[in-house]
Amino acid sequence: MDKIIEALNKGIENAGVERRKVCLVTDIAYSPDVVDFLGIDLFHTSRGRAIPYATGMKLANPKLLPVVLIGDIATLGGNHFVHSCRRNMDIVVICVNDFVYREVAGETAPGDFSPISFSPYLSFEKPLNIPHMARSCGCVNVSRWTALHTDELANSISQALHRKGLSLIDVISSAPDLLEFYYKNSELRNDEDTLNVEIEKDRKIVVGNFFNEEKPSFIEAYNEQHTKILGDNFVKIEVE
Amino acid sequence: MKADPRDVLTGTYYIDGDIAIAYGALAAGCKFLGGYPITPSTAAAEAFARKAPQVGARFIQIEDELGAIASVLGASWAGQKSMTITSGPGYSLMMENIGLGAATETPFVIVNIQRGGPSTGVPTSTGQADMMQSKWGSNGDYEVIALAPDSPQEGFDFTVKAFNLAERYRVPVMLMADECVGHMTEKVVIPDASEIELETRRFYKGKKEEYKPFKRDKSLVPPMVKAGDGYKLYITGLSHDESGHPILDKKLLPDLDKAGVTNKKSTNRFLVEKIRKNRDEIIELREENLEDADVIVVSYGIISRVAYRAVDMARREGLKVGMLRLITVWPFPEDRIAELAKRIKGFVVTEINYGQIVFEVDRCSHGKTNIILVPHGGGSVHDPDDIYDAIKKTATEKKRYQGVLEYTTSLERSVFGGSMAEKYGK
Repeated sequence: MDKIIEALNKGIENAGVERRKVCLVTDIAYSPDVVDFLGIDLFHTSRGRAIPYATGMKLANPKLLPVVLIGDIATLGGNHFVHSCRRNMDIVVICVNDFVYREVAGETAPGDFSPISFSPYLSFEKPLNIPHMARSCGCVNVSRWTALHTDELANSISQALHRKGLSLIDVISSAPDLLEFYYKNSELRNDEDTLNVEIEKDRKIVVGNFFNEEKPSFIEAYNEQHTKILGDNFVKIEVE
Repeated sequence: MKADPRDVLTGTYYIDGDIAIAYGALAAGCKFLGGYPITPSTAAAEAFARKAPQVGARFIQIEDELGAIASVLGASWAGQKSMTITSGPGYSLMMENIGLGAATETPFVIVNIQRGGPSTGVPTSTGQADMMQSKWGSNGDYEVIALAPDSPQEGFDFTVKAFNLAERYRVPVMLMADECVGHMTEKVVIPDASEIELETRRFYKGKKEEYKPFKRDKSLVPPMVKAGDGYKLYITGLSHDESGHPILDKKLLPDLDKAGVTNKKSTNRFLVEKIRKNRDEIIELREENLEDADVIVVSYGIISRVAYRAVDMARREGLKVGMLRLITVWPFPEDRIAELAKRIKGFVVTEINYGQIVFEVDRCSHGKTNIILVPHGGGSVHDPDDIYDAIKKTATEKKRYQGVLEYTTSLERSVFGGSMAEKYGK
């Protein structure tokens, strides 16, 4: 997790955005030091609800830059992710694919397939292909890195902070002792079809910038539609 | 502060309660509504959605109620007055983040146009059975404020009031209307903006580096700041101290009770204290003819209009009946009920459920008087004759009973048989 925060810090720095406008919205707990280290606001919300929380923030104050840092979007709150991709909501979503459940209590996580206490006889369920899920729901910017790809991750974050619409960054992360393993067993394949980036036991973890497309974001579409119908009676969402 | 004239649709209307509530929200300066459609509340969200883009307010239909309420919390921290509108099943889904809102002392308003329950219940008919859920629905200790309008006009007025209370006490405020109020069309007068008094959020004015989001003064309500203003906020649903930082050390827990209000460590205690200690300021009641009353009818929301008729019938016959209408159902007027209980023959409590607020009345009466419940399963309102009968019986009753007596209404007698006397007075 420290590695991701480090990359986030770098990403914000490189993006050159006003730091205090970045709001970190999470559904998992961090130490308060993160706030001081990053110099931003942190909203630790209920499990799975970070995405709609950030949505409300963005619409109430479009000048904010909500960065959602969540655990496995494939479980709690998956539906929020699906629909935010569809809307192309103007937020950044960093999925911490860190099999966090294992660290807490050892439940089965949809991204995981290792032996853990909730499935002591090994998990036989297939992990979810999160980048592909994002892509098929209409997400315009999809990438994946392991937590040790600090520079690449920071790049994806700073690029996402400048983009309109929803960006998904899937970060393969886990207990510190496994980070090195994941990093070494990853394979860079930019522009790879997200269908082929599934995490499987005897395959390398595919990382890279998979997909990037221009499409009107929620706020752009909102402004356009209402201007068309209401004309001068419409009070626009001002982002800048 | 006065309302912004751009937000206030001043005029005289013939509209339903749902629409009046939406107009009330706009007049209060609500700039964000995250909602998900559910009968019988949909018309309220619709009315808001129609007007919102014209006054710089934002409406979004989130994918479900779980997300709708989360978006409302986010919008509130971003600095805007925000709300959601729902009904029973949606209300149930919202409970998780009502807890987060209470824990993080986030001001927002939830409108619940109550319908028949439990579960999917009767979507198109009335009910008042979510009253206890309002207070106890989310896990842990917290207090909320709940208001009960009885007409479209009050739908407008109380929505403004709800926002004022939410902002003043940094607390979730529930507007507990019901299907009758929501779908009933009546005259609604929206006054000039200059006549609408709004409570503004108390923003922190001190040094930035000294700000603590949960540090409070005598009012027990801490001033707020907006997200993105450089205060390095740490806002969490974990138990936290006044700086907002989580307290996870178990050793701290025993200190919480001992330290009470002055506790510097956890802010949990204040979530209840700020409402309980300010309850005299918050509680609003409508009282009629209580001075000479032998019997007092307690009601709230739509059913108080039926109760007024029954009280009227009884008074014409010379019965000494008073009316106590709860405008704020939560916090509950414990002191007032206890005081009245000492000198009357009984309370007749009417509500569209099988007994919720009646048990509060019973609790606060300390066994000093008879408590009679006139229940209704929902779907419609009481027949005033039933309330009248219960009043009459209570006024002439010589015996003192322990606990709540349930009066069997004519409707129930017709369905289940039996007589009023069978149940009443056992």
